[in-house]
Amino acid sequence: MNNTNKTRTGTLIAIQDSLVKARFFSNVIMGETAQIMVDGKSLQAEVLQIAPDPKNPEAGIAEMQVFEDLTGAQIGATVEFTGKPLSVLLGPGLLTSIWDGLQNPLYKLSEQNAYLVPGMKAAALDEEKLWDFTPSVAVGDVVSGGDAIGTVPEGRLNHKILVPFNFDKCTVESIIEKKSVNITETVAVIRDKQDVKHDVKLAFRWAVKSPIPFKSRAIPSKTISTGVRVIDFLAPVSYGGTVGNPGPFGAGKTVLQHSLCKYALADIIIMAACGERAGEAVEVFKDFAELEDPSTGDSLMNRMCIFGNTSSMPVAAREASVFIALTVGEYYRYQGYSVVLLADSTSRWAQALRERSGRQGDIPGPEAFPMDIPDQIKGMYQRAGADEGTGGSLTFIGTVSPAGGNFQEPVTQATMDATGGFWGLSQDRADAKKYPAIDPLAYTSSVYDSFISWTDRNKMLQTLDEANGIDQTISTIGLKKVPLEKYVLYQKGLTIDFCVMQQNAFHEQDACTRPDRLVIINEAVQKLIDSSIQFAQEGMEDEEVKVLVKNKFDELRQWWRDWNGTAVSSEEQAVLPQKVEQFILQEEYSL
Amino acid sequence: MIRKEINRISEVGKALISVEGNPGVALNHVVELLEADTNQSLSFAKAINITEDSTRFQVFNGTQGLSTQTKIRMHEVPLSAGFSHNMLGRSFDGVGDVADGGPEIIFEKEVSTRLDTLNPTVRLVPKQPLWTGIPMIDVFNTLVKSQKIPIFAGPTEPYNRLLSQIAQGAQADVIIFAGIGLKFDEYHYFKEQLSQSGNIDKTIMFSHLAGDSQIKGLMLPDVALSVAREFADQGKDVLVLLTDMTNWSNILRNVANYQDQIPSLQGYPGSLYSELAKRYEVAADIEGAGSITIIGATTLESLEDPVPDNTGYITEGQFFLESGKLKLARSLSRLKQQVNGDTRSDHRPIMTAMASLLADAEKAYEAAEVGAANDAFSQKLLRYREDFIANMEEPFGDPIELNAALDRCWDILKRHFEPTETGLSKKLIDEYWK
Repeated sequence: MNNTNKTRTGTLIAIQDSLVKARFFSNVIMGETAQIMVDGKSLQAEVLQIAPDPKNPEAGIAEMQVFEDLTGAQIGATVEFTGKPLSVLLGPGLLTSIWDGLQNPLYKLSEQNAYLVPGMKAAALDEEKLWDFTPSVAVGDVVSGGDAIGTVPEGRLNHKILVPFNFDKCTVESIIEKKSVNITETVAVIRDKQDVKHDVKLAFRWAVKSPIPFKSRAIPSKTISTGVRVIDFLAPVSYGGTVGNPGPFGAGKTVLQHSLCKYALADIIIMAACGERAGEAVEVFKDFAELEDPSTGDSLMNRMCIFGNTSSMPVAAREASVFIALTVGEYYRYQGYSVVLLADSTSRWAQALRERSGRQGDIPGPEAFPMDIPDQIKGMYQRAGADEGTGGSLTFIGTVSPAGGNFQEPVTQATMDATGGFWGLSQDRADAKKYPAIDPLAYTSSVYDSFISWTDRNKMLQTLDEANGIDQTISTIGLKKVPLEKYVLYQKGLTIDFCVMQQNAFHEQDACTRPDRLVIINEAVQKLIDSSIQFAQEGMEDEEVKVLVKNKFDELRQWWRDWNGTAVSSEEQAVLPQKVEQFILQEEYSL
Repeated sequence: MIRKEINRISEVGKALISVEGNPGVALNHVVELLEADTNQSLSFAKAINITEDSTRFQVFNGTQGLSTQTKIRMHEVPLSAGFSHNMLGRSFDGVGDVADGGPEIIFEKEVSTRLDTLNPTVRLVPKQPLWTGIPMIDVFNTLVKSQKIPIFAGPTEPYNRLLSQIAQGAQADVIIFAGIGLKFDEYHYFKEQLSQSGNIDKTIMFSHLAGDSQIKGLMLPDVALSVAREFADQGKDVLVLLTDMTNWSNILRNVANYQDQIPSLQGYPGSLYSELAKRYEVAADIEGAGSITIIGATTLESLEDPVPDNTGYITEGQFFLESGKLKLARSLSRLKQQVNGDTRSDHRPIMTAMASLLADAEKAYEAAEVGAANDAFSQKLLRYREDFIANMEEPFGDPIELNAALDRCWDILKRHFEPTETGLSKKLIDEYWK
């Protein structure tokens, strides 16, 4: 990157919403950040385009998006180009933090003002906090980008202090002893091949649009226990996988995201609250802080960090918020941790791009989205993945908010194309309050064997599918004309749907189901699917038998639902397959 | 203070004017338009697009009667709203000018209308229910203090009556009425209702009537919400009634078109979502201060229209009014889980059970239309459906307390079903099925 010595400046010549143009005479770098002076405050901007100046052959025009409200900006205002692209500060202290979309810590900002007024800034990470540094290299060792030179404990994690990724084969000139240091102190000096010395600190900045490399990229293979039954049974996701989660409003995306936040087994959860309701992010960092991490018993917030560019915050910073969150995820993946990134919602991110391209006067694609939106979405999801070399993974689960709930719109389509998994939320299921409203018949997953075998999964699916078909038949020709055996199959499907696929996210016991319990449930489900049950008794009319079948299944379902909410010990859990067995044999059993 | 004046307007369009060159006006700053000969004030306007070659303004009172001779006087401040406790009981237009013929107000202070985002860390997680006495809301979709929630309704539905009924029972210190594109009878109705319920002394009305200047309608929510926010900052619990946000969105669409913006869906600008969100997100329970609750009205032809669709993604649920009934299937309060766990033990389970049965009943109803609901259980469901619509989805009636409404739920279930058919746990059945 071109580092000119003197400050490079320009002057504003056009202002419209968050988009400005500046005339410059020196040099401007595509993608670099700039500071714009408005009412004595400096606002951050990013260069989007560079063009010649039709009025002055000596000058150029830089088009920029500004990340803050420009009220009060005037023609002629000074623009200072920084030479640096938009970047994120990586180091210990990331976890438990809550930032805006540009990594300004929100709690620190609230000390200045209850409202986010333009021009407010604060250090991304606490610069005074001391960390116990333990070196892991010695003077004379050769290190490259991504190598650890030491560690500090960060909560329960061992945070590796990495050499920034752009260095190659540097010699350690000096390194400090085991000591408490803050992120601004130099802990080591390394010398590169050109004999230039560089200070290494606990934290360093990295450009958000330059993906942090993998050590050795691998195909995601191990399934995450999300605690959500319909996902773990039918649409599992792997460590390092990608999922798009579209749904019309009110279909339960938020509740599902919150469940994943709480129960997904991962070392780190990053939330990019991108263009959505502020209240939902607040619920996460205020209420979830009091909840326990399922795997460690620690406060849930200790494994989380949140980037909040909520819906009323400046739109231009929305795009940045997702890239910043991705970069933090990649950083922890490189340290060997499993990271789940929840981005809510990628549609708002795409809309931010749409607003911008509209202002720039680009030729619009479908629904006025930029023509290249599918490529941009693919590029974003591609940054997720598993790393064999470090043992870490970054899983990317993005919600999609399709206009009108129509999955044919450009962002949903591009997301389906970009991701390995797809959890489609159904309006009909949500209307019937069947939650989570992931349609068991409208999902995809690239994972084959997970907690249950592929064959078992398919049998489950087939039963649900057939039951759905019979349901439609009943609605069109009436129950009377449906053969008894079909009606029993329908009741089986109904039972699997009601007792297994549906889950109460607000119930202490029912909200999360772990793999050991999934196996028990699967045993019961498979028994039920394989069974042939004799309901008919001598002399009974068809209609009477059907009433009997319904009553029997109603009883079973009520019992099973109770079991979902109460059975905790392994003995209590083991009762389920036995009960189903008794049900199949039509033995008397106590409810 | 002598204010700089510009003498040359180069372009007059619908709601917008432009001047050549850059007179030194800053983005979003206000200018005043004056009759060239008499210096009589014609309107205020706001700078929205500035280049070194031209400057464009939105004119608050519309552009009829403006000429290239009209003078522009610069005020060098962004639009602010006057704030005073004396505004209570009074009526204003979209930019905060007195509109009830009463005396001018001496404002205590000017508040910014920029609607800066509240720092999320200062928000409290909403936990206080607002009881309305309407069973469909209290039992199934409990309203919570600081919630933002619209009524979705067709243009001929009694949504304003519902809005006014909710407002009358609301436990709020201050009610801010923000009406955009109102018909005169709607304006009159609200004024009457608020007077009759004895709430008028704690109410401030901001009204924009259909046919008034579009820019004034466009500004109205910002002015009303800025005043609401000032009351909340002073510790008051404020209820804002926003009706009808579809009218507001249509003005936004018109103005975007005058500005030659590229439309996204049905002519609305791509920023529709962000623009709506900026207003609704003002709702908040603020740490160490008061709160703002927003109940809106969004008229619609179809749920897939851009305005209700975008609104649904922004607000914390919606109340869906159809054929005069509050429909369970499409209504949702996203914050109800924050409060309905602390009520009677049967509240959540009976809500789920009844909803699930109603969904089945809707299916049976569709089947019945083709003569396929011929079994005994389908018949039960059909009778249940009728009972539910009459006794649960009716919003207009005597207010009923939560526990009485829950008892009514059990009565309905008992009238039609056997205990196991409800999907309710044995424990609850034992306790409440009497």
